Formats: sequence, C-alpha cells, structure tokens
Amino acid sequence: MTLPRSSAPYLASIGVLAALTACTSVSLKDQPAPAPAPAAAPAAPPPPAWAQGRPDSMANSPLSPHAPVLTVTTTEKIALDKIKVPAGFKVEIWVSGAPGARMMTRAENGTLFVGTRAIGRVYAITDAGGKREVKVFASGLTQPNGVVVKNGSLYVAAINQVFRYDNAEKMLDAYASKSAQPVDMTAAFDLPPHGHHGWKFLAVGPDNKLYIPVGAPCNICEPPATNAQIRRYNLDGTGMEVIARGVRNSVGFDFHPQTGELWFTDNGRDWAGEEGPQDELNRISKVGQNFGFPYCHAQGIVDPDIKKPNACDDVTMPVTLMGPHAAALGMRFYTGNMFPDEYKNSVLVARHGSWNRTQKAGYDVVRVTATPDGKNAQLTPFVTGFLDPATNAFWGRPADVLQMPDGSVLVSDEQNGAIYRVSYAK
Amino acid sequence: MRLALGLLALICSAALAQGGNPERALKTVEICSACHGKDGNAVVPLTPSLASQPETFLVSQMILFREGLRQVPAMAAVFAKISEQDLVDLAAYFSKQTLKPTTAPRDAALFEKGEALSKRGSCGGCHLPDYRGHDQIPRLAGQKEDYLAATMIAYRDNKRSGTDTTMTGILYGIADADIKALAHYLAQQK
Repeated sequence: MTLPRSSAPYLASIGVLAALTACTSVSLKDQPAPAPAPAAAPAAPPPPAWAQGRPDSMANSPLSPHAPVLTVTTTEKIALDKIKVPAGFKVEIWVSGAPGARMMTRAENGTLFVGTRAIGRVYAITDAGGKREVKVFASGLTQPNGVVVKNGSLYVAAINQVFRYDNAEKMLDAYASKSAQPVDMTAAFDLPPHGHHGWKFLAVGPDNKLYIPVGAPCNICEPPATNAQIRRYNLDGTGMEVIARGVRNSVGFDFHPQTGELWFTDNGRDWAGEEGPQDELNRISKVGQNFGFPYCHAQGIVDPDIKKPNACDDVTMPVTLMGPHAAALGMRFYTGNMFPDEYKNSVLVARHGSWNRTQKAGYDVVRVTATPDGKNAQLTPFVTGFLDPATNAFWGRPADVLQMPDGSVLVSDEQNGAIYRVSYAK
Repeated sequence: MRLALGLLALICSAALAQGGNPERALKTVEICSACHGKDGNAVVPLTPSLASQPETFLVSQMILFREGLRQVPAMAAVFAKISEQDLVDLAAYFSKQTLKPTTAPRDAALFEKGEALSKRGSCGGCHLPDYRGHDQIPRLAGQKEDYLAATMIAYRDNKRSGTDTTMTGILYGIADADIKALAHYLAQQK
C-alpha cells in the first residue's frame, strides 16, 4: 500500500501552511486551493495531528493512539496487587468509578476536583470520614483537563474555554445539577481554539497568577505565534505574559518549593524514531526562555523535518530527559513529612505511557531528584506495574499526582477511572 | 502486516473496562431495533448498521450520546433510560451480529474513484486494510452508504467529533462528489 504523499519536509511544515492551503498530502481534497487573501483565510484545521510528520517509511505503521476507556471500572476489576512501590510504601485504591480521571486539585475542605478529556466531565470527589463519593460536577465540556482551586473558586480550562466556579465546594450540588452556572472567563483569557494539544493544565503560582500552557496544534510544525508556549495571567484573565516559548505540549507543572521557579514536563514529538526525541523535565529560570520546539528537541536533537540554522542556539536544555514517547504529564514537588527524607523537594512525575513506540514505555510514576538549580538530576521508578514489558501490555495509565495534607500522594489512573493513595510507614 | 494489525486490535480490545453480556442485551435491544434492526442491520434510512462494529467503538459512541457530546435528536432520550451496564451489553450484542452485505448494485466508476480516494487518504491505516475497524475506530466495510456519506459530511463540516478530532482533519475540504464515491466504495466492501 504505497500512497502518493508529498515530501516529508512539506508534510512536516503544515502548521501554518495548512491554514493557508487547506490541504496537505494526507488530506483528501483534490488540489491545494489557491492561496486566499490572508484576511479572508478561513482557519483551516490541520490534518490529523497524530499523523503529522509521519515519514513515508512509516506510512503503514500500525501504531496509533490508544482508545480511551469511557466506562466505569469497578474496584474489583482493578489489579491493585500488580502495582509496585518501594519498600515501606503502601498503595490502596482511594476511589474508583470516575471514568477518564486525569488532573487533580484539592479544595480547602477536602473535595478533590478531577478533570478529564474525551468524556467531557469534571468530577467532585467528596470524602466524609473515609467514605468517598464521586459526583459529576460538570459535564458536556470539551476536554476539561485543566483544574485548579484558588480562594474557594474552581477554575476549569476546556481547550480555549475557561470557567470559574465560585464557592465550588459549598455550591457543589447546585453546580452539579446545573441550577448554578459558573462565570464564563473565556473571552478574558482569549486562548487559541485548537483542539489538538489544546487540553490544558492549570496551576496558580506563588505570585497568585494562573499558569496555562498552550500546546502546538500539531505533532511537528511551525506553530502559530500564539502556540507552543506557557503563559501566566492575573486570576481575572488580564495581564497575560508568555513565560516560556518553544514548548510542544506541557500537561504538568509545579513551583519549586525553595526557589519558586516553575518546572514543567514537555512531551517530545512523534514519528521521529522509537527512541525519541525523549520527553523533558524543564525549569524556567528566566521569563521568556526558549525550550526549542519545533527546531531543537530533548538535549539538543535537531529536528529532521523543521530546520533552521543553529537550531539549538539560545535553547534552554532540560533538567533531565523523561523517556521516549513516555508521555510525562502531571508532576508535583514532594514537600510532605510522611515519606523518607530523600523524597523532600524531589519531583514525582506521572508518565501516561507511549503509543508511538513498538515496545511500550512509561505507564508509571517516577521520582526525579535534582539540585534547586536543576543539576545532577536522577530519575528513579516510584509507582510501577501498570505495564508488563514481557507481553508489552498495559492496564493502567497514570496521569497526575497530588500531595495530600498528611503527606500521602494521590495518583490518578485515566485507564481505570481510579485514584490510588500512596502512603509510607517506617 | 494484516496479521500484525489484527494482533494489535486483539490486544487493544482486551483493554475494555468491563465485558458486555450479549445475552443480557436481549432485555433492552428493542429500544434500538426499530431503527438499527434487531440483528444490527439498519432498517431506516440514514441510520447506521451496528452489526459487527467494534465493541469499544459502540461503547464510546453511546457514552458520547449520553454525555451530550454527540448530538442526534433521535438518540437524545435513549440513554436516559438505560444503565451503563445495559449500554455495554448492547455493544457486546451488536458487535457479535453478522452484517449483511449490501444488495445495491455496484457502480464501477464510482467504486474505482472511491478506492483511489481511500488509498490516498490512508483510510485503511486506522480502519484496517479490510475496513473492519478496531477498538475506538469503526467498521466502514458494508456500512449503509447514505449514512457513511452523511457522517463524512458532518465530520468535514466540523459538526461531529469522535473521541478525538482525527476525521475532521482528514476530511477537511473534501468535495461532496468525493464523499459520494468513498461512501459507495466502502458500503460495497464485505
């Protein structure tokens, strides 16, 4: 099955080009439309984003993203005994029955709000003396992945839509029944509408600003000027600043407990080989730093498709690499007192797991230790057992981690719609 | 390669959250059968056949209907009446029904045009070379021609999304005449 395709460089540069020509080699349209006047150009969606940049040699590759599980997985179907943690640690199912559970934020009175993607829901998980209940807090949203609570208000980012649910815990049932409506902040934040890599992660910094990533709307392309960056805003959506550029798709970040600097994960591109370019853990030491996309990946790998001279000049290199196609997503610094001392100020990172790699990688939570200025990084496994390397089969996909007030850590598993609690006792 | 793809599909379908029970679906199947046919071969125009569709695909679409993320007036009320287990059972039931091949005559020119378009668009890459689909990706082979055409138009015009946005991207800007040819070619597959 040899398909007529344009050259790889053309294929790879479709970001802006596709918006003008409305057609690429993988589109079915007959001929590229004549370039329209820029002002009249419709915002053409790019071709299927996961296939962009796929070379002819991989045209028949059977690799494609895994199907999301949108149904409830009951507790007894979760293979808890397969999960492995270091000696002294214990893992339990904290809650199940929240299909698609991804990013987590905890409100003052203990309600856990959880974002999703395909199923379009935000869950509120209440905890009354260990009796936990999963409620559908919001539904019908487009990939409401980003959630964060600040001053009692829950912020939800669903691609370019931003909603603020004031008194989210007190008015939980009113919002859930839709008898109360959130404040629609979409216009104030004015985020790009691209669906691909458009799902968000949210965090509020020590500066009381809301941090929002804007991913590249493609696998590999020259992104629009509005994309491939991390921004921060005042909580009301004013005062936007781009604090990092050249960021392909960050779906997790946190502020260093000692320096207050933002550290973030970033997912490497697909279809450029089994071994990478690897995902990254990065540190922003100066506002506006460039992290390389689309020209320079990982620790200085020049992109095979999107080229420019001195591609890695002025690019801030990662603190560490996070694995090939491993999908490093949610991450938090550990600041609690429950875990052994060496865990303090190290980063726990959920790796959702690969699709663009024959031998699967990731599907775990790892711990990264480094100095506060990002030196001497060491990566060690923390929560494993979701992937069986012998059969290359996975059963769980960690998406986020969150420290609880007692120092234990929650891990969300999107595949099983479950949240695990990892605790330690000497 | 087909073997490798088949194996992949097999591994992936094992990841389904909970197995459906096709026998139990006989209790609820009448809410579907007036339009989709009791054996999953659609009896009403512009209605998809559900027979032989991948189980995960059927589950995903029913959830998207239930959540209001896919909106079709005839389907809006259906999922208020049944439990998630019913929905999973129905998916198991319909995925195991046999799809009857179309009896419509083949238009050789249209078929040939559709075949070329499908190759060019790499439809068989995800839907598999014989278009039987796998996991969240639907079977196209032998699907109702009018429904295939209407669905592709909806994707093209950004009026429908699956569990991701792949199809909207692939079909962007495609002409109605090309959709007609693709629908004919795919409906004629067994």
